[in-house]
Amino acid sequence: MRNYNLERLNFLIVDDNKHMRALVTSILHALGIKNCIDAGDGADAFKELQHFPADIIICDWNMDPLDGLDFTRMVRTAKDSPNPFVPIIMLTGHTEMNRVVEARDVGVHEFLAKPISAKGLYSRIRAIIERPRVFVRAGSFFGPERRRRDSPTYMGAERRQQSVETGPGDGELSQAEVEELLND
Amino acid sequence: MSDDNKVTVIKPPDTLSAKVTKGGPGAVDLEAIKRAESIIADMADSYLDWVEEDLIKITKAQAELKAHLDEPAKYLDKVFQIAHDMKGQGGSFGYDLMTILGNDLCRFIEGKETASKVDLEVIDLYIGTMQIVISKRMSGDGGAEGNKVLTGLAAVVEKITA
Repeated sequence: MRNYNLERLNFLIVDDNKHMRALVTSILHALGIKNCIDAGDGADAFKELQHFPADIIICDWNMDPLDGLDFTRMVRTAKDSPNPFVPIIMLTGHTEMNRVVEARDVGVHEFLAKPISAKGLYSRIRAIIERPRVFVRAGSFFGPERRRRDSPTYMGAERRQQSVETGPGDGELSQAEVEELLND
Repeated sequence: MSDDNKVTVIKPPDTLSAKVTKGGPGAVDLEAIKRAESIIADMADSYLDWVEEDLIKITKAQAELKAHLDEPAKYLDKVFQIAHDMKGQGGSFGYDLMTILGNDLCRFIEGKETASKVDLEVIDLYIGTMQIVISKRMSGDGGAEGNKVLTGLAAVVEKITA
């Protein structure tokens, strides 16, 4: 495990459930992060961003009135967005393939399935630090590039094809499959 | 090439690497991860208070669904949202059975626009089982008793939906 000092990073946590906000905040504090603020929905979070220079956003999917997808779209494409490039980790119980693709296609960097753990959250933060993405504007899409892996041993696409042919079990993807889909 | 087909690649400023350092005091190591996991474990007691509130909310939403069978979609969605929250929280605080039950309830409700008598019975069963898990403090996978609860629930659901 690579050890990073995250003390100087600013985190914005967006979740309509106050208990999950408290949980994520506690994990981040335990990892040494001092500057975390939170918001209960996408609209409030967008307002917070106007004066809080978030380095990473951790965002829930299901929220009212503005959910995680709408919020990500706003951050990426709104004219008054203070930082369209800010990395976003989508934190959600929705891990079905179509949902992951939907999140990827609005410009989410990383995806972390609930229930969450400190190790899981740190691994997503580390992925953002270690793999900075270029951004792509193509048609209506604006977001981090979805990189294709060149490794000869990379089997993600084949495995997914197999999963489509054989049926995806309960329809949900594992964290590893989610990562493959986001990075393909 | 039309604007629609144009692809622009932009390299954003790498602000993170200027703020993040490797190693040294304060860096995240296995101890920090353990500390964070133990903080989550300490929050499990509070979770039991929160989940009691969620159980009251989901029971109320289910009662509303039964009272509004002429417009079930809105109330099915309400039950779904609460179950979805419970799914996310359960395993995070060491109550993996709550995540399994929340997930199964969400999968059962997902896509439904009407609620039959059998559907309502199944939803009641899931809510009742979640109440048992919490009242008996069945953390983790619940051991043999947890397995018995899940197997029993699956058998009853299969029987009434057959």
